[in-house]
Amino acid sequence: MIKENNIKFIFLSLSLFLIILIFFFPFFWIITSSFKSPEEIIATSTTIIPRSFTLEHYNKILFNSDFFIYLKNSLIVSFSSMIISIILSVSAAYGLHKLKFYGNKFVEYSLLVTYAFPGVILLVPIYLLFAKVNLLNSYFALIIVNVLFATPFAVWMLKAFFKLIPNEIEEAAYIDGASRYIVISRIIVPLAAPGIASVAIFCFIISWTEYLFASILISGDNLKTLPVGLAGIVGQYQIDWGFLLSGAVLASLPVILLFVFIGKYFVSGLTEGAVK
Amino acid sequence: MKKNNIEGWLFVSPLVIWICLIILVPIYIAFELSLFNVKIIGTSGKFVGIDNYIKLLGKSKFLNASLNSLYWIIGNAICQTFFAFTIALTINYKFPGKKIMANWIILSFIIPTVVVVVIWKLMLSSSSGVINSVLIDIGLLDEATGFFSSPNKAFLSLVLINSWRWSPFLALIILSGLNSINREMYDASKVDGANFIQQFFFITFPNLKSVLFVLGLVGTLLSFNIFDIIWLITKGGPSSATTTLPLLIYETAFTKFRISQAATLSIITSLLLLLFSIIFIKSMAPKEDD
Amino acid sequence: MNKILLFFITILFSLNAYAVTNVTFWHMEGVPHRVDRIQTLIDEFNSANPDINVTQEVQNWGEIYAKAPASVAAGTAPEILVGIPDFTPILADMGAAQPVEDFVSELDSKYGFYQKALDQYTYNGHTWAVPLWNMGLSLWYRKSDFEAAGIEPPKTWSDLKKAAKALTKDGVYGIGLPGNKQLYTDQTIYSFMVNSGAEEIYNSDGTLRFDNPQTVAAYDVYKELYQYSAPDAANWTWGEAEACFASKGCAMILQFTVISTYDSQAGGDASDLGVIQIPYANGKAHRAGTVSYVNSAMIMTADEAKMEASKKFLSFLMEPGNYGRFINMEPGLFLPITEAGSQDSTYWDDPVVVKYKSQVETMLDNSTRGSLFGFTNGNTFTSISSISAQNLLAQTLQLTLIDGKSAKDAVSEGMEIMTEAIE
Repeated sequence: MIKENNIKFIFLSLSLFLIILIFFFPFFWIITSSFKSPEEIIATSTTIIPRSFTLEHYNKILFNSDFFIYLKNSLIVSFSSMIISIILSVSAAYGLHKLKFYGNKFVEYSLLVTYAFPGVILLVPIYLLFAKVNLLNSYFALIIVNVLFATPFAVWMLKAFFKLIPNEIEEAAYIDGASRYIVISRIIVPLAAPGIASVAIFCFIISWTEYLFASILISGDNLKTLPVGLAGIVGQYQIDWGFLLSGAVLASLPVILLFVFIGKYFVSGLTEGAVK
Repeated sequence: MKKNNIEGWLFVSPLVIWICLIILVPIYIAFELSLFNVKIIGTSGKFVGIDNYIKLLGKSKFLNASLNSLYWIIGNAICQTFFAFTIALTINYKFPGKKIMANWIILSFIIPTVVVVVIWKLMLSSSSGVINSVLIDIGLLDEATGFFSSPNKAFLSLVLINSWRWSPFLALIILSGLNSINREMYDASKVDGANFIQQFFFITFPNLKSVLFVLGLVGTLLSFNIFDIIWLITKGGPSSATTTLPLLIYETAFTKFRISQAATLSIITSLLLLLFSIIFIKSMAPKEDD
Repeated sequence: MNKILLFFITILFSLNAYAVTNVTFWHMEGVPHRVDRIQTLIDEFNSANPDINVTQEVQNWGEIYAKAPASVAAGTAPEILVGIPDFTPILADMGAAQPVEDFVSELDSKYGFYQKALDQYTYNGHTWAVPLWNMGLSLWYRKSDFEAAGIEPPKTWSDLKKAAKALTKDGVYGIGLPGNKQLYTDQTIYSFMVNSGAEEIYNSDGTLRFDNPQTVAAYDVYKELYQYSAPDAANWTWGEAEACFASKGCAMILQFTVISTYDSQAGGDASDLGVIQIPYANGKAHRAGTVSYVNSAMIMTADEAKMEASKKFLSFLMEPGNYGRFINMEPGLFLPITEAGSQDSTYWDDPVVVKYKSQVETMLDNSTRGSLFGFTNGNTFTSISSISAQNLLAQTLQLTLIDGKSAKDAVSEGMEIMTEAIE
């Protein structure tokens, strides 16, 4: 028994070490580097512990670029995409898994299979389509696309959370004369709340990180999202690494902050929700 | 449970209509384009029927990109499965700091792709990258290597970068599957003298079947579709070694300006993926237990 | 309620703006201080011309090749689009870019475009864009490195090979040359081709003459020099090369400019920074030249009023007094394209330009002798877009650098690929 525990211990420490090295160290390095002087960042002798400290990169990006406009746009697009995704996918997941209907298996699988159409394929046709209905250069253009990318997987995740809710609770409510609307808003949604929260965060992240469509469907500076704005402030012929790194940190910061407050719900919602 | 046909469809239809509009209309536009020989988008072309399809299938570029895509899917599947299980199984144990790690492991998934690219471009740079300098310091390398300089190294680096991005999220999904496994099964197996490796293969793995089914399906489709990471780092190079089908489509449409050929490629690619999905679902879909 | 209010405000606004012509100006210079400089000029222009309203919209180079044609197809194209020569034929073919030869000759008589400036935009009997500024590759180095190694800055290819070898030492690559399938690599390899007498890609009948001994010689010397380049050069664009030079990781590089990075990230000792003409093949001194990129503005509207307004704005930018400030949105990078512009005091007054005056003069001098593949001696055909947009010069280079073929085989295979591409 002791021997097995030893092996376990070695495995555990080894994998912990690897995980920290691979998944956390890059962040440490990028964040510290964003405070280094330009000379130190591009120096051929790389430093892990910084030798210089400067705020110039952050100064430049916060006060000389449209960072706050990009941030605002990203927040608007991501929040709206998240809310619409959640409404649509809660409704769909409920329909699929609580109200068995003719063709529900087909719909369930078809939803997942929507990922079989690569974004690149849809790019030009969507551009032309949106131009026809006058949607180019609008938040809604991005929201439509983000919802498309987020919902299929969101529905599948929600299904698992809905399954955990015993049918007896619902049926008891119906016997008491509750309507479908009451059951969903008073029973299903509150009981599945942790799960819904983590799915919501998932939708938020999908929208927050989207690049390709945001770069094509938007042409005005006042509507650009953070990833596109960040890609644009770097000149074609030069790389200002300090500028880029501080931009990278700042573009990640809002989601990280979000995670400080609700990260544990995301993780516990996901992991304790028992996806089956 | 009784069937609620009308109500069920009512609940599902908003999403279904949304998705159909945004996918079917563009696919129809792409299909139409594929029957003409339009070069630059917005100009007119001649109707050529299925000519584009016939020509395309004989092109070595198409074959090359299809193979790259296949390697890309396999490479990512292996790497991500390994990383994701390592993370999930590790976090499943009790150790100090477990909570923090479980909450923050997802970091690489929540940052924008553009940021992922910035991080790894700098980390892997041969002149100012930390990885080269550490590898030299500990004696694994004599001199700095270029991680994107040869076809194989570039391909492998991209697979690893992409896996770095996705594995933590997969790990959390797997973890949720792990949590749903009845603890008693482990205890019972211990009594029977099973070690933890046996436990993994006889209890953990089989019980994750339905989670793994969806991850297998969606994961394959999603990693097939990865475009931005490859485009922003290698543009498909060197020597087309990292040109997967999505990159070839983009290249054909926007640097070669053969929009009809690109549309043809798109339609064939979609058909291939659909075929894969149908086979995968037919053969692997878990039986519903409720 | 808000929406209704907004609606009325919009109506009021558009009534008020009844006579105003709107001009949208797309460019890809997204670095914040460049955007600011352009905005300053736009503001001055708009207040001097109340009947015109110019707005800038910044695009990314990465997606503009997809976005501009799509915007034309969708009817959402801007009135003015800044571009580079390889891009114009596509938009000219689409009927989107308007011929501007009359306007250009009007500007020419006022300000005098450099002789080669119009080559890159004149074909099919028209001039398709208004040249705005120039960029040309030069060879950059540190004078102190050459002194320490006891050698002279290279004039010929054999000097260059010697220098690259002599300057390579522990942790320093003799010369930073890119091997990426990307525009920068097209430019560097072409700058060698120019200097061996292979600047013509086309015969006068539109067939290709890429596969010739001079081209092979250029690819050959590039391959030889590439061994002194950094290991990750296969993935380089301009920025990485510049960073390599700034950090002293590379002793020499071929680059449009290194000035702003050198100034801000490498100490900025102006007296140590050397720049010269790209070396030429032995015995080809009379061929000495470089690759140049004339950036230009295409007018994308056929609407009379909008076209007039666009021309008025472009004239405003080209006017001495404005012009220097305009191209100094990135001092030490963009070079004047007109004689008048090169004497504009607002150009030479910029502190960066003052500090690096001798370097800027050399850059300017080199750039006026620059040419661009596919746009030489009137042998210009719009099919060049297919070659340049796909970076086929660089792709050909990869055949030898990465796949290990001989320069001769690579060039002949490259010719096949190009022939197929322009069909």
